[in-house]
Amino acid sequence: MIVASILTPLEHLLRHILNGLHSVGLPWAWSIVGLTIIVRMLLVPLTVKQIHSMQNMQAHAPQMKEIQRKYKGDRQKLNEELMKFYKENNINPAASCLPLLAQLPIFIGLFYTLRHFAKHPPPGNLSWLHFVPNIAQHANAHWSGWILISIYVLSQFASTYFMSGTMQQSQRVLMMVLPFAFIPFILRFPTGLVLYWMTTNLWTVGQGLITRRLIPKIAAPVPQKRTSRTPPKEAQPAGAQAAAPAETPKPGPPRRVKRKKKARR
Amino acid sequence: MRYVGVAAVWAYRFTLAPFLGVGQCKYHPSCSQYAIDAFKEFGLFKGAVLAAWRLLRCNPWSRGGVDYAHDQKVFR
Repeated sequence: MIVASILTPLEHLLRHILNGLHSVGLPWAWSIVGLTIIVRMLLVPLTVKQIHSMQNMQAHAPQMKEIQRKYKGDRQKLNEELMKFYKENNINPAASCLPLLAQLPIFIGLFYTLRHFAKHPPPGNLSWLHFVPNIAQHANAHWSGWILISIYVLSQFASTYFMSGTMQQSQRVLMMVLPFAFIPFILRFPTGLVLYWMTTNLWTVGQGLITRRLIPKIAAPVPQKRTSRTPPKEAQPAGAQAAAPAETPKPGPPRRVKRKKKARR
Repeated sequence: MRYVGVAAVWAYRFTLAPFLGVGQCKYHPSCSQYAIDAFKEFGLFKGAVLAAWRLLRCNPWSRGGVDYAHDQKVFR
């Protein structure tokens, strides 16, 4: 296979990392979990960027919903208007393809690595948590595989729930149903691969939970500040109009300072 | 030949995309739709280059927006 030969260096790298984790003293199954965590930690800078843009999206959500209501019938027009809105408001939509696709070579590389494991079992313990006898075997070879698959489907559900903030309802339903459609294929995957996918989904869920906590914390103070400022303005309607333009240039100077700092870098 | 590319995108949509959890692209025609349009209009090779370039642009540091394969600026 062409794909296999392109991914051979990656496969070797993954096997080296796995071997390294195993030589430290981890069983093979835990080495896979460790490898997953390493991969996801490398993706954290990308994720942080996504969380920031999610917070920005959250702040502009009412206006975006208004646009969605306006162009409810015409999906093409709706998307275009939304994109225009992003540009006008400097929003970087949270969803982007590259970070997700970055996982793809690792997924395929791990598939080949674990298939190699199944053909030439490495010395050492291939069981996991006393109930998975062999992680190189197909997932349907033992009842424990079914448990892992059900955890995988549940974690897929949960991670879809967290990742699908702006997704349309029909799309969300499709994303929820598809894990079931893929069970027949997953059954023939090595159990270790299911283990990898389960771990990565659970990481996504954890990240989603942390993000959910962070967003209200950052979004909440902004309206609070506004409400604390507005009452005195309303008390003096004549002064309010004069105060409002006077306040707007104030955020200007610090922004300029930030830009200068960026330019120096 | 160009339909090889289109078929590959559809295969990706039905097999790998659900695993990755790709929901919504930040660009208007999503990356996969862009790839299909690019393959249909520019053929297998140019389409693949355009699709790859689009995927690279679809990162957390880009702005997103409306971007049709027809309006590409790579091949002129």
